[in-house]
This record gives sequence, structure tokens and C-alpha cells, in this order.
Amino acid sequence: MPHFEKIEYQPIPVRELLLEMKNLSELMIDLAYSAALFNDKDLAEDVLALESRVDTLAYLLDMEIMVAARDPKDAEALIGVSIVAAATDKISDAAGDIAAIVTRNIGVHPIVGEIFEKVEERLMQATVKENSKIVGKKIGALELAARMGVDIIAIRRNKDWIINPDENERVFLGDVLITRGAPIGITAFKNLAEGQPAKLEEPT
Amino acid sequence: MTERKRFEEIVACFVELKDTSELMMDLAYSSLMLNSRELAEEVQRLEEYVDKLHTDFELLALTSDFKKEEASGFLGLIRLGVATEKIADAAAEMAEVVLRGIEPHPVLKLAIKEAEETVTQACVTDNSPLINKTLKEARVHEETGMWVLAIKRGEKSLRPKPDTKIELGDVLIASGYAEGVEALKKLASPQYQCNLE
Repeated sequence: MPHFEKIEYQPIPVRELLLEMKNLSELMIDLAYSAALFNDKDLAEDVLALESRVDTLAYLLDMEIMVAARDPKDAEALIGVSIVAAATDKISDAAGDIAAIVTRNIGVHPIVGEIFEKVEERLMQATVKENSKIVGKKIGALELAARMGVDIIAIRRNKDWIINPDENERVFLGDVLITRGAPIGITAFKNLAEGQPAKLEEPT
Repeated sequence: MTERKRFEEIVACFVELKDTSELMMDLAYSSLMLNSRELAEEVQRLEEYVDKLHTDFELLALTSDFKKEEASGFLGLIRLGVATEKIADAAAEMAEVVLRGIEPHPVLKLAIKEAEETVTQACVTDNSPLINKTLKEARVHEETGMWVLAIKRGEKSLRPKPDTKIELGDVLIASGYAEGVEALKKLASPQYQCNLE
């Protein structure tokens, strides 16, 4: 049986809680699909850990809303927030369900992952090769979101996953990067990471 | 049908399911941010489409004549579909808030605006290179990283197709990483900004 912690009220603004729930739920979907389609157990376990984080956030947010509502008018104004938060929680649950396909050793048929990688246009894995221009660079300095509409959502280094790496994280030779974003952008980025001639100019 | 072909068909159906559920999320957040019934209604329409797609997907998987040792891999596939449908459901629940006439709380708009993946609107003003181009020709996504989800033209919101022409005075509703917002606004309104919020 999983361990459930007692969650105590903490004065955190609703906006912050909701923002984190939205960001995490969207990140989790992409991580979960990647874990299922590339059959990666470690990544799937990280998704499950994030899921319990979102559960905690959902409790905290509901408590915050209860404290904030003083009269029926407040309740009417806040119910929408509660429903949207519940929906982000449901999305993160769905991501957890996808991760569980891997952690429970059910797995998705291997051919599916292989075809998926060819047709899916928003998620891609790339391995950083020796002659790539991004080796040793900080993620922030690459300005991927602004230049290519691409975001690195996870890095596999040796045996560990770094989830949602921040902009000071550097890219190393041999890193496996999971990226999401615009189809043209992620294809260009894969070329850049794998050291193939890239059309993109150096970040200035 | 060869085995490969069979899987290609199943994966194509799954990708459509997945893309539609993600579009629904973007549209649902947009409908909340703009308090737009039209966008919320579009989410509900897509929810019906997803239900149909999901059934097609399950039938495809179940009738694909798999071998006993492939059962687990096919079960995984079915579960992937169920989870994707759950995401679409969640998006429909968000849009329902708007359809029930609940004015979205300012905190919702703030959170959506500040999120890593955000929703924005930009008006197409004089001298924009987008005017009279089709969405396909305009290459908004390639230029800015933002997806145009809907176009507001006068009182109407339309869901653009690749051959939809962008007109002067249109308001583009788009989603993407926060970094793309300024680029989109510059492209749509090169001379003066309009304040839509």
C-alpha cells in the first residue's frame, strides 16, 4: 500500500498552486508518453513521483479556496478555480496511468514505439553526439524556446533522469534529451544535438 | 495486410487521438482565459469526436488478430487510449465552467498567462506581413513557435484551417511557450500594439 502523508494547511497563494499544477500536469503528459513509448521504467517512476506532488498541491489548493470563501458570492466566484484545478489533477492522474503501463510491466507493443517516433511530431529523443555544438552549453544559453519553439523536458545522464532541467543545467556528451515542441523545431534540434549540419545559426 | 501496415494504422489513429486531446487542453485554457463560449463549445464538439476516435482505436486494436504473446503489448496500447481519453475529458470539464456562465476568476487568467505554456491573443494591424496570407503561407508556428488555435473576426471565432486567409483586423488566439508571445505580437501588430485585455 502506498504511503499517504498528512497534508497540513500552508498559506500559499492560489495562483502559485494552480500555476504549478498546470505546468506539472502538462510536463507529466509528455514524460509519460515518452516513458510508455520508449519503454523506460525510470522515467515512468519519476512521473509517478510527480503525480503524488500534484495530489498534494490539489489538497493545498482546495484548502486555500475553502479559507478564501466567506460568502455565497465568493463560493460562486471560486468554484471555477476548484474545477479547473481538479481537471489538472485528473490530467496528471492520466499521466500516472500511462506511466503505470510501464511500471506494472504491461508495456506497449514495441513496434508501436518505433512507428510512433516516426509519425509523432511534437516529442522526440535525441542523443548528444561528439561533434554537436551544444556540448557543454547551458540550456538557458541555447534559447531553444525562443529560437526553435523547443523545450527540453528531461535529460537522461548515465542512469538518472533530470526532469524539467533548469536553464543553468549544462548539456553533456552522451546525454539523452527528450524534447517537445514545434515539428520543424524539434527536427532541427535533433540535428543540432546529433552533430549533423544544422541550419540554425549559433546563439549570439 | 502486413503486420507493419496494421501497426501503422493503429498508431495513426492513436496519434490523432493524442493530438486532439492536447488541442482540447489548449482550447479549454483559451476559453477560460478569454471567457469565450465559442471556444468552450468547440472543446465540447471535439470531446464527441474524441469519443468516436477512441472507439475506432479500440476496435482497431482488438480486431488486429494479435498473437497470444502480444496480448500484454496490446493491453498497454488499450490503456494508453483510455488515459488519452481521460485527458480529453479533463479538458471538457474545464470548458464546462465557461459554458455554465461562471465568469472565470481572475486568478485563473493569471495562472494561465504565467504558465510555461500559455495562451495569448494578438491583433492583425496595418502592415502586418500576415495580412492576406493563408495560415499555411503565414508560417506563424515556424516564425514564433505559437500555434494559432482560433481567429476572432468581428463577433465570430473561427477554427482556422491551413487555407484560411488572415485578414486585417483579425485577432489571433494562439498557444505556445511564453517566449513566443512577443514574437507573435510583433508579427501581427508591427506598428502599434493593441490592448485586448
